[in-house]
Amino acid sequence: MLTSEKASGSVISEGRLSMESFETESARRGRQMADLYHRYGIDTEEIDDVQSLPIRFLVEVGKVGLAKYIFKEIIHYKGNAEVILSRPCTYGVFSGPVGGFSPRPHLCVGCLRCTIQHPEFVKVLPNPERLSLGDSYTTHGHIAAIDEEAKKGMVPVRGQGYRGRFGGPGFDGMLTDMSEIVRPSRDGIHGRELIGTSVDIGSKPMHLSFDEKGEIKGIQPKMFSIQVPFIFDLPPGNLGTEKLIRVIDLTSKGIDTLACVNSSDVERMAIDSANIIPVLSIDEAEKSSNYPNARLIQLDGWDSSAVDKARSVSDAMIGVRIKFEEGWQLRLDSAVNYGVEVIHLLADLHGRGEDGQFVTELFKEAHLRLIEQGRRDLVTLIGAGGIVGADHVPKSIISGLDAVALDLPVLFALQGRSDGSLVERAGVIGNLPNKMDEGWAEQRLTNLCGSWRDQLLEILGAMGIREVRRLRGEFGRSMIVEHLEDEAFEGIAGYVGGGN
Amino acid sequence: MTIVKPSDILIEKTTNLLQNGMNARAFGDFGVPEALGDARWTDELILSTWHMAETGKIPEKLNFKTGNSGGGFDRLKFQFLDESEWLEHSEKISTKLDLNRRGDEKNKISIDIPWYGGGMSYGSVSVNVMMSRARNARRWNSFISTGEGGYPTELREVEENVITQVATGYFGVEEDTIQAAPIIEFKYAQGAKPGLGGHLLAAKAGEEVAKLRGSVPFVSLFSPFPFHSTYSVEDHSKHLDWIETVNPKALLSVKVSTPHDVDMVAIGSFYAGAHIIHLDGGYGGTGAAPEIAKKNIAMPIELAIPKVHKFLVAEGVRDKVTLIASGGIRTADDMAKAIALGADGCVLGTTDLVGLGCTRCSNCEGGPSGRGCPWGLTTTDIELQEWVPQDWAVQRLDNLYGAMQWRMREILRKLGLDDVTQLRGRTDLLQYIPEEASE
Repeated sequence: MLTSEKASGSVISEGRLSMESFETESARRGRQMADLYHRYGIDTEEIDDVQSLPIRFLVEVGKVGLAKYIFKEIIHYKGNAEVILSRPCTYGVFSGPVGGFSPRPHLCVGCLRCTIQHPEFVKVLPNPERLSLGDSYTTHGHIAAIDEEAKKGMVPVRGQGYRGRFGGPGFDGMLTDMSEIVRPSRDGIHGRELIGTSVDIGSKPMHLSFDEKGEIKGIQPKMFSIQVPFIFDLPPGNLGTEKLIRVIDLTSKGIDTLACVNSSDVERMAIDSANIIPVLSIDEAEKSSNYPNARLIQLDGWDSSAVDKARSVSDAMIGVRIKFEEGWQLRLDSAVNYGVEVIHLLADLHGRGEDGQFVTELFKEAHLRLIEQGRRDLVTLIGAGGIVGADHVPKSIISGLDAVALDLPVLFALQGRSDGSLVERAGVIGNLPNKMDEGWAEQRLTNLCGSWRDQLLEILGAMGIREVRRLRGEFGRSMIVEHLEDEAFEGIAGYVGGGN
Repeated sequence: MTIVKPSDILIEKTTNLLQNGMNARAFGDFGVPEALGDARWTDELILSTWHMAETGKIPEKLNFKTGNSGGGFDRLKFQFLDESEWLEHSEKISTKLDLNRRGDEKNKISIDIPWYGGGMSYGSVSVNVMMSRARNARRWNSFISTGEGGYPTELREVEENVITQVATGYFGVEEDTIQAAPIIEFKYAQGAKPGLGGHLLAAKAGEEVAKLRGSVPFVSLFSPFPFHSTYSVEDHSKHLDWIETVNPKALLSVKVSTPHDVDMVAIGSFYAGAHIIHLDGGYGGTGAAPEIAKKNIAMPIELAIPKVHKFLVAEGVRDKVTLIASGGIRTADDMAKAIALGADGCVLGTTDLVGLGCTRCSNCEGGPSGRGCPWGLTTTDIELQEWVPQDWAVQRLDNLYGAMQWRMREILRKLGLDDVTQLRGRTDLLQYIPEEASE
């Protein structure tokens, strides 16, 4: 009997395995093993809007002008219906029952053919209501992109080149690299299905030791894997409704990631599970025992005695949330020194720390600090704040994180609207659709995750990197626009550097 | 809905309306369309391009020089001499560019203007648009590239002005079209989607397009990345050797995007035998690309040119290779700045399309209608492509190129230069504009 047969548990029906039947049998077993293999993927499916964004464009048609024009055409073309009934729009804006007299601006994509072709009586205007969505950081562009990603679950693809500003602040000032000819792997975009996006959550010893039997001795790795390098953070502001928490819970299970939920909600809703991270205040650390299924519990600040209390009553890993406020570096050092396995770093929703530094710099500082101390792998760094675009995920990981936590994207993926400030977490006032169906919402969030994962694959594929874990802290695979400008424009009159 | 070729009378009506409408906007008979333009191609830049394409002249009232992107070309200007030192505006100011600097036995090619047309594949655009660009290239003793979609037979008429592109999917690559081409372009990557390969979405891969690409209709076509036969500079060299064997006289152009080691890629290509190193910057055009790639992967061309130029100079090979820049180059001013930063010449793509009416609405990939560009440019839809009459398009491009050449000479004479080649690498003639003062 073949050794592999024992391992797979399959049985030869009768008699010995002859050379004759070997090929057939081995093919059958190969197929059987292959069928057992499940390649990770996120099942996306296009889903309808329930609360569409304000339309992109307003279309104004001067009805008198149009009537005169049609009259003229009837005379000029002697009733030739093909010519008279032709419309300048291929998207159906003027194809309603009464044509241009009742345009359908929701179909307008802004090609402007109508207003060029008929400048006398057609106007296409950007919709100010749409432009007013979000704020100076989380712009209407981010919100529209998230909305599309959550609707379709696909990578947004468009024609024409980039339309925005040159470089820019924050994440916009970072570019990712690609490999042109000499590549670290042979897998480009057609090898994307082989690119891994799973990340390890927890602690790995900086080296392994083995006893004489070959068993690991000393500090053991303590970690688990999730399939995508993003988790759901605590819903900011007033968003933490039961309904939303249920949706986040279901989605995180569906795609095999994690969701941070206030501990009181976890208990009240009885949703303790391996995919939920109960978040407790440090005063309630001893309640960690209430979550026997959690793999990771977070405390909302650093306090060694709170960690002790939590550890004493729970086998879960204990993580600590640290805000980028004065003294965060020391708190990070102390927590890691104390053996905390996961640190969840928090900037404001514009991606800034208390001192105004942007998260790419802050994440980098945290990462390098631990590297210099020789204990980076002892801890998982998760970060949140200002991550509102698919490109922000790889850029945060390049800056040194293991994974990011999503906050505002959840609101906009579910077609919610914000009211007021989008800077401080506690101050967020969001309105989710009134009659939000949970199945619909789960699919929207799943679609968003699918789209963002696929876009991560695009970035990794372009670099020739086969797993996202290898992207962590790879500053050399990014380019900072300011640095590039210094190199390119040095010596040009008037150039002083630093983007000035 | 069945789409049929429109009648002549409908074509006449529609094209008249479109052409008159563009002129009315460009000449100021009506206001600037409120929804037109973006940071890179502002409303004025689009309208000024229409103006030049219609008249062959620089507009007086529109900004035809820069966009509003807040960086790169938009923050650079020339330090012109005092007016008393300006040269006369004259056709004697040379805009010629030699493409073969290796001094080998291959084609000796000069173009009359320091730019040629970038690759736009059949499928991404119609034969009409390809032919219009190629016929215009012939008028200007320049070139267009086929892009990666094969070589429609109509192009044979102008094959002396057509570069055959060999890209990673090898779509439409045939021995005879390699042999027919004066220049062969290897497209390793494209600035708008570096590292990702080409995209032609299903809606635009119609029967003729698919046939030329050796595919089946209405299936999305994704070129792989990278070349699956190239994983080292040595492989790259073999690639070029292969083409040299098929067409010993052709110049070899290597089109790459702009990663952080683009300077090393350039020198590797030179030693592999390239005559032209074509850098395609991150803000370049495309018929379809993931949005995440356009903005984030690889660097803008303004930042790549000096990096490569300086490196080639330091390696002592700068005068043996032609450095061509593309990807976000919109105007004659952009081209002059690119040359001052270290390029020899440029490649234009989007500018040609804007000259023919493109408003940069970004629906080239098909858009919600699935039919592609409503202006008839980036589509092979049998109705829409009729909105671009070939003779009209050739004349528009001819006018546009004339205006841009005039502007190029204007810049040169104000710098006291009588040959565009004298501008190369002259960063001392540039000035960086503080943000608050940028045009």
